[in-house]
Amino acid sequence: MPSLALSELIGAAVTDNTGARAGKVREVALSPQESSTQLSSFVVKTRRGDRTVPVKTISLIDNTVRVATSATEWSPFGGGEGLLLLERDLLDQQIIDVHGRKVVRVNDVDIHEESTNGNIVLKVAAVDVGARGAVRRLLKGALPASALHALLERIAPRLIPWEFVDLIETDPARRVKLKISLDRLAKLHPADIADIVEELAPAEREAVFETLDEEVAAETLEEIDPKLQVSILSSLDSDRAADIVEEMDPDAAADVLADMHPDTSQEILTEMEPEERAEVAELMTFEEDTAAGRMTTDYMALRQNSKVEDAIEMLRNFEGGLESLSTIYIVGEKDKLLGAVPLAKIALAPPGTPLMLLSTGHMTTVHPGADENKVAELFDKYNLLTLPVIDAEGVLTGVITADDVINMLRAKL
Amino acid sequence: MPASRRLKVWRIRLLMFLAVIGPGFITANVDNDAGGIYTYSAAGAQFGYLLLWVIIPVTVSLVVVQEMSARMGAATGKGLSDLIREEYGLRITFLMMIGLVITNFGNVVAEFAGIASSLQLFHISRYISVPISITVVWLLVVKGTYKSVEKVFLAASFFYFAYIIAGVLAGPSWKEAFVATFKPPHAGPFHVPAYLYMVIAVIGTTIAPWMQFYLQSSIVEKGITPREYRASRWDVISGCFFTDIVAWFIIVACAATLYVHGIRQIRDAADAAQALRPLAGEYAYILFAAGLFNASLFAASILPISTAYTVCEGLGFESGVGQKFGDAKVFYWLYTLLLIAGGGVILLPNVPLIKIAILSQVVNGVVLPFVLIFMLLLVNKSELMGEHVNGRWFNVIAWATTVIMIGLTVAWFTTAGGGS
Repeated sequence: MPSLALSELIGAAVTDNTGARAGKVREVALSPQESSTQLSSFVVKTRRGDRTVPVKTISLIDNTVRVATSATEWSPFGGGEGLLLLERDLLDQQIIDVHGRKVVRVNDVDIHEESTNGNIVLKVAAVDVGARGAVRRLLKGALPASALHALLERIAPRLIPWEFVDLIETDPARRVKLKISLDRLAKLHPADIADIVEELAPAEREAVFETLDEEVAAETLEEIDPKLQVSILSSLDSDRAADIVEEMDPDAAADVLADMHPDTSQEILTEMEPEERAEVAELMTFEEDTAAGRMTTDYMALRQNSKVEDAIEMLRNFEGGLESLSTIYIVGEKDKLLGAVPLAKIALAPPGTPLMLLSTGHMTTVHPGADENKVAELFDKYNLLTLPVIDAEGVLTGVITADDVINMLRAKL
Repeated sequence: MPASRRLKVWRIRLLMFLAVIGPGFITANVDNDAGGIYTYSAAGAQFGYLLLWVIIPVTVSLVVVQEMSARMGAATGKGLSDLIREEYGLRITFLMMIGLVITNFGNVVAEFAGIASSLQLFHISRYISVPISITVVWLLVVKGTYKSVEKVFLAASFFYFAYIIAGVLAGPSWKEAFVATFKPPHAGPFHVPAYLYMVIAVIGTTIAPWMQFYLQSSIVEKGITPREYRASRWDVISGCFFTDIVAWFIIVACAATLYVHGIRQIRDAADAAQALRPLAGEYAYILFAAGLFNASLFAASILPISTAYTVCEGLGFESGVGQKFGDAKVFYWLYTLLLIAGGGVILLPNVPLIKIAILSQVVNGVVLPFVLIFMLLLVNKSELMGEHVNGRWFNVIAWATTVIMIGLTVAWFTTAGGGS
């Protein structure tokens, strides 16, 4: 299976069925509607303008691309609508290396040549992001071909297989037409996606957040630098932004909306579902550096006469973030906090056990206005995973989770 | 309710302004580095007021060029080297990066010339000052403490005001200075190679190639979007004016002191320090040394690292001081070599510090048009810039700058070649 380099194909001479030189290769195209790996056609620059030459009419590629049809039959090149043009769209551009979890720049593209029933099939095999591709392109034409090949042999390639590559296209219409998706990226951990997104330019970030599933987008957004969160959300349509914000942890959502221009955050809030909007809007009224500003309202609380089985049933239907679930709360009349049960105890106890029996004896709580440093102190002193926030009447208003405290401490480093 | 909302809008506006004040002003300050101070000083000492006319056109060009860089950063979210790579391919980027490395290397050498010569005034040998400075800068940047020190550098940049005061106290011939600012001399001096050389140096030190890459990257790094760009533009423009007002006063101060007293050639820092005598008397050398040292160390902390970033981003190598050495070898080596070799040149026996500092600025001037051509091509691409492409006057001014710089270079080569 011989391998060709895109940079060697571009500019190569093209002959037609008479064997006469008809022009040279200008572009190599992939038609994603037909195949995501197989090349569909070459764009050949001839004296009479650019022509499209389907790959299936090519009989041989050595130093020259030999086409089996007459140059007069080649149809004019229509501008590449719906085509991925490798030189223009891939070479020198940034792509996402899903396997290596980073953004890299394409130095060259490796194309594999297969031959089935005498027909040539060309497939994109890998993108070259290392020195080999760079040296080949820099020295092409400057060194004799054989010397260059000998030199390239000595350089270890750095290739990313085509199936680990995600392209970034900022134009939504073109994204649909070229079937460019970020399926592979979306499978990464949100924290890794966040690292990748931070390396991109604003328009590209926007494209990522338009494409990702809302839930993944929300988790990713929470992992991104707060200042970037604001600029990303502001750049999206308000209904798309609202969809993402709804999926976010309410306290994270409140933080980012509070940092935005009031008009923009208002637009997003208006687009949100009433229930989530009320939750986030309430959190937004708290000062960010207090206990209330750090808490989430996504937690689980049951009535005082509930049993373990009720708790398990409620867990099954719980939609909020998992980090607040390490403790389950017991509330009485008017949501007054009565007890707290660690999740592990629920998992171990028989279904009929009343929750109150499992409640830990001494409970640490904090008031909404408490300073965030005080909160961190409590977490440290009592080795907490979660900390309930109660108001002057003892009513449970929210829960602070350990990950929020870690975020806060990291931000202060 | 509306009142508190309005307050919030104002607070955000203020925060936005404070958040974007920086890149332009920092770039402008670094622009007055060792190369800048020595070039302006030499211009005033050698030709008196005869070079002052350059300041107004160079300010106009500087504002236009820097504004273009910042606008490109805000509109595309990409650095200049990234854009050149994506639009013009690997070969052109590679050649551009080689040119930039050579040019910036010259500037790094100039910074160490500044460090060595300023500390020589305190009788500290360059064999001690340069290696220590290399180590300090390397650690400052790689250990990530640079950002906290930046404010100190910036605050210390108020040293430039010393030149403004000294310029006034020196009692220059104001009438002559102002006339010379608005009226270029007749053709006479333009046939003198040394004069052309100095014109190129003054323009090259004011509009340096590295600034365009550095400013655009800083704008990108700050995450400034077209929406916030309005505040940034004022930061950039005020920075440019600050640079050039200082430049004007350095030339005037040197013209009114050194030139008048017949010191036409600045041979060392002690000569250059004489310009501050009207302000600081016999302590002028302390003021000069402290200011020059700060400016040089500031620029030495920025230039090599920004060069390494630019080159690695353009050519696709891993970059960033957050990376492990093994993951970003090229980046760390390039950075380290620029520093060590840049300082190393100064340690060669009998290196003429001032001459080399000025030479590096001439190289800036010679390379500048090539950078400008790419900036102009890029900034006029509507598929990149959208509605933020250049207006007609910006194009006229920037192209004029490009052509004039090429013309000056050719003129200098031919006169210098013909004269010798």
